[in-house]
Amino acid sequence: MQPQSGLPHPLTGLNVIELAEDPAGEYVGRLLAEMGARVIKLEPPQGAPSRAVGPFARGQTGPDASLNFWFYNSNKASVTVHLGGPDGTAPLVALLGRADIFVCTLQPAALKAAGLDLEALTQTFPKLIVLSVTAFGLTGPWADYKSSDLVALAAGGPLNSCGYDDHSIPPIRPGGNQGYHSAASFAHIAVMLALLERQKTGLGQLLDVSMHEACAVNVELANPYWFYPKVQVKRQTCRHAQPSPTQPALFRCADDRFVYFVLIVAEPKSWEALVRWMDGHGMAAQLTEPDFSDVAYRQANFDQIQELVECFFLVHGSDEMYKEGQAMGLPIGVLNAPEDLFADEHLIARKFFVDVEHEGVGTVPYPGAAYRFSTFGEVARTAAPKLGADTKAVLAEFATKTTEHA
Amino acid sequence: MSERRSPGPGAVIMQQQSASGAPHLSSQIAADSRRPRARQGPLAGVRVADFCWMGVGACATRLLADFGAEVIRIEDRNRLDMPRRLPIYKGEARTYGEEDANPDPNKGGLFNNYNRNKLGVTINMRTAKGRALADRLIAASSVVTENFAPGVMERWGLVYDRLNELSPNVIFARMSGFGHSGPHAEYRSYGPVVQAVSGISHISGLPGEEPSGWGLSYMDNEAAFFNASALLTAIYHRNITGVGAEIDVSAVEAGINLLGPILLDVAVNGRSTRGPDYPPGNRLEHPDAAPHGVYPCAGSDRWIAIAVFNDQEWRGLRSAIGDQDWTRDPRFSSQAARFANQEALDARLAEWTRDKDRHELMHALQARGVAAGAVQTTEDTIDHDPQIAGRGLFFELDHPVIGEALFEGTPVQFSRTVQENWRSAPLLGEDNAHVFKTLLGVEDDEYEELAAEGVI
Repeated sequence: MQPQSGLPHPLTGLNVIELAEDPAGEYVGRLLAEMGARVIKLEPPQGAPSRAVGPFARGQTGPDASLNFWFYNSNKASVTVHLGGPDGTAPLVALLGRADIFVCTLQPAALKAAGLDLEALTQTFPKLIVLSVTAFGLTGPWADYKSSDLVALAAGGPLNSCGYDDHSIPPIRPGGNQGYHSAASFAHIAVMLALLERQKTGLGQLLDVSMHEACAVNVELANPYWFYPKVQVKRQTCRHAQPSPTQPALFRCADDRFVYFVLIVAEPKSWEALVRWMDGHGMAAQLTEPDFSDVAYRQANFDQIQELVECFFLVHGSDEMYKEGQAMGLPIGVLNAPEDLFADEHLIARKFFVDVEHEGVGTVPYPGAAYRFSTFGEVARTAAPKLGADTKAVLAEFATKTTEHA
Repeated sequence: MSERRSPGPGAVIMQQQSASGAPHLSSQIAADSRRPRARQGPLAGVRVADFCWMGVGACATRLLADFGAEVIRIEDRNRLDMPRRLPIYKGEARTYGEEDANPDPNKGGLFNNYNRNKLGVTINMRTAKGRALADRLIAASSVVTENFAPGVMERWGLVYDRLNELSPNVIFARMSGFGHSGPHAEYRSYGPVVQAVSGISHISGLPGEEPSGWGLSYMDNEAAFFNASALLTAIYHRNITGVGAEIDVSAVEAGINLLGPILLDVAVNGRSTRGPDYPPGNRLEHPDAAPHGVYPCAGSDRWIAIAVFNDQEWRGLRSAIGDQDWTRDPRFSSQAARFANQEALDARLAEWTRDKDRHELMHALQARGVAAGAVQTTEDTIDHDPQIAGRGLFFELDHPVIGEALFEGTPVQFSRTVQENWRSAPLLGEDNAHVFKTLLGVEDDEYEELAAEGVI
């Protein structure tokens, strides 16, 4: 889809001040930057904690080499301020006077220690949208409990559904900071709702996003299984946790990679497609026999079928199985590793990855925007800022603005 | 709990549905409370012709309906939405493969879960009259949404240019697994396939073992959230510019965005994630947290997650453990040492946690400044978690067939914006009369004809 009219990006002209110490707050800041907002990341003089988290680029160290920081902070400006000094929060408050959105990940005790009152900020700046994204929310008995991605996924519920058939193995955390990402998803929705509200009323508000709750509503079927039949789902290897066991869905292929495929024998159309596919490779064996056209017979001989399908996949490459199976109309997926994605013909055709220049490293492919609009293109990607790169310029600009305003 | 009122004029609508094949409905149902009304919230005044179905689409438009949009689900009586058919019923525990051949379309809990606060109509899009009716509905709407397999909307002629003719500056949101261009645009997918292809299954599991991946369609939910954000952004943009948009969201591309920093490790450092040391299971590679894992607790399949990031937290953990020799082991004397000796540390810690109650231990550790969380089930989060209960995350609505049911709310407290939960999910075709007659001005005799011909 090529953008037609080339309109300004939706959040053009909005100033976002980000005081974020974890991926939830940083990711939502990035999402806003990708829609055209100007995101100013406030950091202590030694840098945001995320700069100290690896992996690092090519053995480099220091605040500007963290790939963790790069991933969550592209398209932002970096301003260092000392908020614990004699001026207290004054430098922050000065910036907020000209901001539209304030992203803050401090939990209640940390807010208090920093002398920040979010509720009061919305009184002082009636148009300001204060987006608080914290582990458990700003209120409640656990509001100051510590968290992490693993702890959030555990207490919120998703972890209970993830792991292996063997329950002597603990539940296993799905990779990639998904507890934080869940919080960021809802934070993004919340801030867009608040912007729409502000279009109507001219007023900002305080948004209190809880990562714990974001996880608790991000368990898919496990919630309705408890709302309705009051049953618990039990984790299974790389497939839906269910009230009772279902057959494996991962099939190992000849290249030692996996495909995800649910063998459904009850539905005639997908059954026939599967047999036709296997037969095309001369591997349908007895499945072409008339007995197997009967659903009840198939169900009674399920183990036999499963074994033949396992053999079929085991002697073919995963990519071949993925593409052929899809061509047969079967919902089958290859388990790509991240390194496989850069060569994926579909993603290449869609020009999904975008190049970002990194001084001393060269061009790095970043994932492109997850949504495409016909009326405007993607915001040009820029690398995450070096520590304090924009301090002087931003502070000077905001000081001028404040003077003008006064 | 929603209020029960005596039946008002709305009851007539329901009786008509009973006659047309919907299940028996009690006349005591609070019909008034189900009657469509002016909505409140930031999206009040936005009408959505919603062709979405299944999980992704319905979950995305639920967020619009929660915040004031008039979302009109368009359904097909002859091809029931999967969540209407899945046997997630009160009082019956079944795995979702075990469907009824002839399910009651109004009994499915999953449909109720995904479609609260929406209106529901039925249109047979295989008839010319049905498609003409859909055109009228689109003309009266400013947003159109769909998550069909690619080609379905095209078959009905409902491409962006046509929609824009019907409703100038319409927003058209298309939600699919692979996006609407590229060689795999037609590929079939659902949550687990998206998770596989995007890489987020591969990066989850014990090193050297088959991936444990996901035990849920995480990407159905997350793609829904990305779609909801995109829709809200497009509406915001249109409010400024007056111009609509077509939106193309690929769930696979959303999934790749969620891979996190490992993607850059691969891109910049040439890191292989197919080696014997990846994925890291419950351990973290960065930062050097240790212990960092999920440990057994008292009871069957009961666990606690514990994450220690620095010396101060380690001292907190040690003070909870008490005076035990192994905690003074030089192998555990610094964060770097603990990280290097996780195998031994995990074994010791698991021995200690094994006979403890997971919730008591969580609170004891948190009291000492250690990040710890019981691995909670949905019974825990929905029925017992005081943090969630205090903030009112889950709420109840009545449903004419299902009765009182719980719903997942939004994990955000807004100081100004209101989430108006006015009704549980629509019965099949519940709002036909309201939408077609009242909103679109279909005359009584035409309406009867459309019903008799099976168009609605």
